[in-house]
Amino acid sequence: MRSLSIFTALLLAFATGCSDDAAVKHDAGVHDAPADAAPGGPDASCFTDPHTNNEIINACTTAQKVPVPGRPPLQLPDGGLPAAP
Amino acid sequence: MRSLALFALIAALAPRVAHAVPADCSTLPNPIYMEVGDTQLNLMKQLGRALRNNTAKPVTLVFVTNGSCTNIGDFYNQTALSVTWQYIPSSTEDPNWTSSSATLSCVPPGGTHTLDIANSALFIASCANEPAVPDFAQFTNGPIQAYVLAVPKASSAVAITFEQAYFVFGFGPTILASMSGSIAPWLIENELQVRTNTKSTQLTWAANISVDPTKMHGIANSGSPAVVTGLQNSQNPSAAIGILGAEVYDATRATLTELAFRAHGQYFAYWADSNATSRDKKNVRDGHYTVWSPTVWMNKIDPSSHQPVTPDTQYVIDMIAGKEVTPAANFDANVIVANVGLVPDCAMRVTRSFDGGPLSLYKPSESCTCKFESIVDTTSCESCSSGTCATGTCRSGYCEEF
Repeated sequence: MRSLSIFTALLLAFATGCSDDAAVKHDAGVHDAPADAAPGGPDASCFTDPHTNNEIINACTTAQKVPVPGRPPLQLPDGGLPAAP
Repeated sequence: MRSLALFALIAALAPRVAHAVPADCSTLPNPIYMEVGDTQLNLMKQLGRALRNNTAKPVTLVFVTNGSCTNIGDFYNQTALSVTWQYIPSSTEDPNWTSSSATLSCVPPGGTHTLDIANSALFIASCANEPAVPDFAQFTNGPIQAYVLAVPKASSAVAITFEQAYFVFGFGPTILASMSGSIAPWLIENELQVRTNTKSTQLTWAANISVDPTKMHGIANSGSPAVVTGLQNSQNPSAAIGILGAEVYDATRATLTELAFRAHGQYFAYWADSNATSRDKKNVRDGHYTVWSPTVWMNKIDPSSHQPVTPDTQYVIDMIAGKEVTPAANFDANVIVANVGLVPDCAMRVTRSFDGGPLSLYKPSESCTCKFESIVDTTSCESCSSGTCATGTCRSGYCEEF
């Protein structure tokens, strides 16, 4: 019985690891590039099977990536933008 | 002896005099009257030359460049245009003409002419105050036009974000300074080179950075050449920035630098191409670079039969759109489209339904990605002869994905 439980647990773990979800690396919900991401280097967060707009623009790519640190001083704390005059 | 010398002088000058006097447009082979965006000038020159030399069906593109929204209105209203019409000479007329040469001019009988074809280098819905769509108008989506933000070579700027562009062009450096919200290094109002609000470059950028196109800050230039000149001759190159069609930028890479652009919600900034020096438009094709519009081509059809009023207009538009034409041309229009910086539909893998709108995945009926890459840069695709691909489809000498 114990062997069966271990086998089942291993099977579930393996199945989860091979799921489509696991193939898609989800971002951490931040818009600024990861600080350690080097241009052209491995993606810290990208989507291997993009479908939505957000996934398409952040899909894994061999193209050169350019990190842009910081944010404009007038950008709102929630990431929003004030209306233009 | 004196008469002989005079005769020789006249004979030597004769060809130039002939070019200086505008021709009668109606005497040119199969003239098609067109009004296109100034981003399409290189396409008009190269396609115009090829069509003049198209043995099976020679066609003369008689064209004028103007803002996309103006073109739409002129076509809808069938305005009798009194303009300086341009055309390209055939190889027989001028074997030395190249796409860097000047165009020739012609005058239609009576001095004016209406449009057979009009072009918009963005979604038509982006133009404000257009008249109702007439029942004779037929629309065809053509290749994709990308737009870039460029700075002088002396600038050290490398990239800009959606948010930064929103503040720079939506608020302007003067207002931002008064609000302690400056976006360095773009700190001088008169160093922003923009366009007027009937131009596709202005409207597409405005839509992609959520700025009202009528309120874009900077110097409103009527043409792309003025933007280029403004950047090249900037007194404060580190603060200068301007909007351009990608093909205009491609021709000025020696003096200008394209900024990588990070769209809203994107983690990194990207160039239209896969890196700063390539010309593959990879990021346009796969959605990593978001500032682009389709070119839209309009011709007249009979509202009852839905057949083109002038069949040659469909011939030209189908060529530009990458469709097969009859009779077959003696050149490959897709090569011309790629060489002038446009991306043919068959190389695209994303689409959108309005300017600045969200991207979705797209699969054309036949892929030409490998062929496109081989024209503009290099391709890693396997080459093939007919029917010998292990995977995909052998087309134009390359194993295309489908």
